Amino acid sequence: MLLKLSLRSIQQHPLRTLLSILGITIGVAAILALRITNQASIQAITRLFEESSGRVDLTISPSNEDLNLTETTIRIAENFPDVELVLPVVEARSAIPTESTESDLQLSFFGIEGGAFLLHGIDPLLEPQVRDYEITAGRFLGDDLNVYEVVLVEDFASDEEIVLGDRIEIVTPNGIERLRVVGLMARQGPGQINNGNFGVIPIMAAQQIFNRVGEFDRLDLLLTESSNSQAVEALRTALQARLGDKYSVTYPANQGQRMSQMLFNYQIGLNFLSGIALFVGAFLIYNAFAMTVVERTREFGMLRTVGMTRNQILSMVLLEALAMGILGSALGLLLGIFGARGLAGLVGSLIGAPLTADLDVPAGAVILSLAVGLIVTLLGALMPSLQASRVSPIAALRVRGRSQNGWFSRSGWKLGLAMLLVSTAVLFWNPFPYDPQFILGSLTVFLMFGGVTLLMPSTISLWEKITRPLMRLTFRNSGLIGSKNIQRSKIRTTLTTVALLIGVAMILVVRIMIGSLSGDLLTWLDGYFGGDIYAHSSIPLRSELAGQISGVAGVVAATPINYYEIEIQPPTGDPEPLLFMAIDPATYPRVTQFVFSDSAVDPLAALSRLNQGDAVFVSSVMAEKYGYAPGDALWIKTNQGWKDFEVAAVVVDFYNQGMVLTGSRHDLRRYFRSNEISTLLINIQDDADISVVMDNIDKQFGQRYNLSLVSNTNLREDISTLLDQAFSMFDVMAVLAVAIASLGIVNTLTMNILERRREIGMLRAIGMTRGQVVRMVLAEAGLMGLVGGGIGLGFGILLSRIFLSGMTAMSGYKLDFIVPLGGVITSLIVALVVTQVAALYPAQKAAKTDILAAIQYE
Amino acid sequence: MAVLRTNNLHKQYQLGEVGINALSGIDFAVDSGEFVAIMGPSGSGKSTLLHLLGGLDTPSEGQILLSDQVFSDLPDREMTITRRRRIGFVFQFFNLLPTLTAEENISLPLMIDGQQPEKFQGRIDRLLFLVGLEDRRDHKPDQLSGGEQQRVALARALVTEPEILLADEPTGNLDSKAGARVMSLLRRSSDELGQTVVVVTHDPRAAAYADRVVYLRDGQQQEALDLSSFQELSQRVREIMTVMERLET
Repeated sequence: MLLKLSLRSIQQHPLRTLLSILGITIGVAAILALRITNQASIQAITRLFEESSGRVDLTISPSNEDLNLTETTIRIAENFPDVELVLPVVEARSAIPTESTESDLQLSFFGIEGGAFLLHGIDPLLEPQVRDYEITAGRFLGDDLNVYEVVLVEDFASDEEIVLGDRIEIVTPNGIERLRVVGLMARQGPGQINNGNFGVIPIMAAQQIFNRVGEFDRLDLLLTESSNSQAVEALRTALQARLGDKYSVTYPANQGQRMSQMLFNYQIGLNFLSGIALFVGAFLIYNAFAMTVVERTREFGMLRTVGMTRNQILSMVLLEALAMGILGSALGLLLGIFGARGLAGLVGSLIGAPLTADLDVPAGAVILSLAVGLIVTLLGALMPSLQASRVSPIAALRVRGRSQNGWFSRSGWKLGLAMLLVSTAVLFWNPFPYDPQFILGSLTVFLMFGGVTLLMPSTISLWEKITRPLMRLTFRNSGLIGSKNIQRSKIRTTLTTVALLIGVAMILVVRIMIGSLSGDLLTWLDGYFGGDIYAHSSIPLRSELAGQISGVAGVVAATPINYYEIEIQPPTGDPEPLLFMAIDPATYPRVTQFVFSDSAVDPLAALSRLNQGDAVFVSSVMAEKYGYAPGDALWIKTNQGWKDFEVAAVVVDFYNQGMVLTGSRHDLRRYFRSNEISTLLINIQDDADISVVMDNIDKQFGQRYNLSLVSNTNLREDISTLLDQAFSMFDVMAVLAVAIASLGIVNTLTMNILERRREIGMLRAIGMTRGQVVRMVLAEAGLMGLVGGGIGLGFGILLSRIFLSGMTAMSGYKLDFIVPLGGVITSLIVALVVTQVAALYPAQKAAKTDILAAIQYE
Repeated sequence: MAVLRTNNLHKQYQLGEVGINALSGIDFAVDSGEFVAIMGPSGSGKSTLLHLLGGLDTPSEGQILLSDQVFSDLPDREMTITRRRRIGFVFQFFNLLPTLTAEENISLPLMIDGQQPEKFQGRIDRLLFLVGLEDRRDHKPDQLSGGEQQRVALARALVTEPEILLADEPTGNLDSKAGARVMSLLRRSSDELGQTVVVVTHDPRAAAYADRVVYLRDGQQQEALDLSSFQELSQRVREIMTVMERLET
């Protein structure tokens, strides 16, 4: 019976019900979409490492690229108890020579990849015990370990127009070699390695082709089945101790986890914003139910008169909320599943691997989003429901629209102020810099918003007084009357204003964060992708190539760069892996420049210090994270053991999330015995046509070295696009919060004019024109926009400061606090325009008030 | 000279399929400075007449002239401006804005007219003095009694110095003492300010303050009673009661 009454009431106002649940729908959809995408992307990444590593328990690899594993290492490993099988693997990057080399650079969150083709040299007899290759055509590798045959991933083969039985050419250090394609595998399990640009060949053939006879890149260990995780860890420690620090014994999925972490940080941000959308959605629900109570005071009074208890009224309204919550959340689920496709497409392009195929909807996520949606709805409806239950039977006969000055508006400000101060202090102090999911941080931010909410009712009169002159100026005397109206129904008005405030604050936070982040990123990118042409190859290049390219017509200079994986010993904690960017201090400044953290640094002096050797530049991220300063000693694990380098300067560098050192190629040769280059930055003559120069380089060296050439203008544009894509989601979420808040404004104003119908009738009777009524309502909305927008701006700036310093503490990114003037103006305009647009419908409705009906209305 | 005049005024309402004649053929005039009460039982059409006189509603037939200008067929905007500048309203439920002080409520019509209320401070002060609320000018409506609120509403109606003041059951929501005070204020505004006043009431004690009482029944004008020859209020009430009894039997 109660349910029936509840459902009837929903049926009566289908449009309003829909508007009210929109906040919940959007919030739930956002949570679900994020969860689905999150799972899919984490899966996609870890699967690359987990599925492709099959049942491998541990992996042994050399600590740096120069070392190799040999038969000796295999025997050491085999002699450990619990080790059932040791599989040696040779990994070789190669390329299939193609006509065009210009467009195969792939950009993703994790860096730039040329169209690399990865070959694994494996033992076909042992391999099936750890990894499941699904052969779709032909056969797997035969027993002969020396034969030049290959099994390719089917999709890759069809992209390259390779069919079974073809003899394909691959680029090797010895020139072009030919392999016969004997089989094709599905892009599943190990078929997903290197995004499917992958093939397997017999191990000894691989050693011959790539000059690696007797050497291996990796040993995969399969342990006896009885080994539990403790035993595995014990074995790992023992093996590591036995092999010494020249080799690393790791879990196979480690690398995937590291990559997931980067993506995770991105998604925490989105999660936080979907929480904000729900928070604002709760206000909308409150609003809708407060409206119900206002409208139905008589009905509730009547029901009480005929004997309904307070609890029954409460249950009835809460049931209505529950029904709306279910409806809103259900719609949210649909929208979420739908939205996940779009989000997955975006994230897919960010991580450089398509996700759309992997979208399953995890039951846990569905339950979570549903529960959150219902709880938020019920919480939002609780206060109005209690109000409804307090309606006395005589209310059915009484004047409606009394103002309620409860505890909330009387003393709430004390609690609010306390909450605000505590949360601001906590956020500044930041006791949880390594809070992995930002959960405590978000809770504190919500506490802060709660504080503002409580503080608003007692201060709204003050804000009204401050903004009144502006309203009077804009809307003349009607504006004055409208402005003063804000002091009524304080709670309702306050919540709407706060919802808008939060939305505006979020827009600004997002704009400031993006502004600060991309400001730094772009400065760095300009230096990083300095010069005019970026040349990259998936196979190691000889160092002479830089000199050769410098000789090409139109080229001013070319400078070589190589990235080398090393380990450093930070002042505290365990050794950390990072990248050593080896540059040529002589040619580098002829092509591009470094961005030094300290602008007083003399670039040439710093480079000459690098040239003298035993010195490095550290990234600002590392300087922040480990406290390195110029002149400090930094310990690096070299081929000759641990060696201290002098920190010559701090530079802005975000490559590899800032975990990068810059040193000279000379040091790379000396301490790591590597003389290869992976990337070339090329500077051309001012009057040269870049496409002609690129053509020239391509003709002379392109095919031979499998070079990918991109103009830096294009590359920077691509990166900007990638950044914009990544950041656009944040913008979308913040705009959603404002959109939800604007629905709250429609509701609040509709409620206000409903309550004041008689008053509006009187104003019309004593001579207010329809236009003046419209202006009065617009002024009321404008005030909410101005107060919400203005305070929202303040909060946005405060929060951004906190977030930026929090980010510095968490990741070591030292970001400049840039308040984008455009962002500030945009937020304020958005707030004002949104409120005015939202007010149009209620204002029109108010203007159309039938005077006679209104003044007789009682 | 008649400030307000009606010519053969008709008003029909459509209630479902039934047409109701609220007013049929009212010819009625109010002279400048005159204080007229309109009386009649519920449903007699007295409120309808007042709404038509005030330009809140439009007649189905006939005309209303304000200072010899037809205004009953003006478009909404002009009608609104006419109400604002030339007509004053007092309602049964006071209808003050709760966010404004007594003084601000009084100056509301000036504000709506785009005036600076400060320029009319003298007039506002005089009105506050007239209604006896000089010391309560800064009070908000919820700090005022019903009688005080109605006096503020009266001052509000007078602030534009309208050609005519219309009051709809001004004592309907007040106790007899407060009601008497409001009625005597209306009387004084007529006597001292020369204000033309039309009051709709069903209360003989309220109507007794008028110069003339017009009776309506079933939408038709029945009788007009001139009270100017009676000095005593109680005597006027008795006269009104007598006519009412005659008409209602």
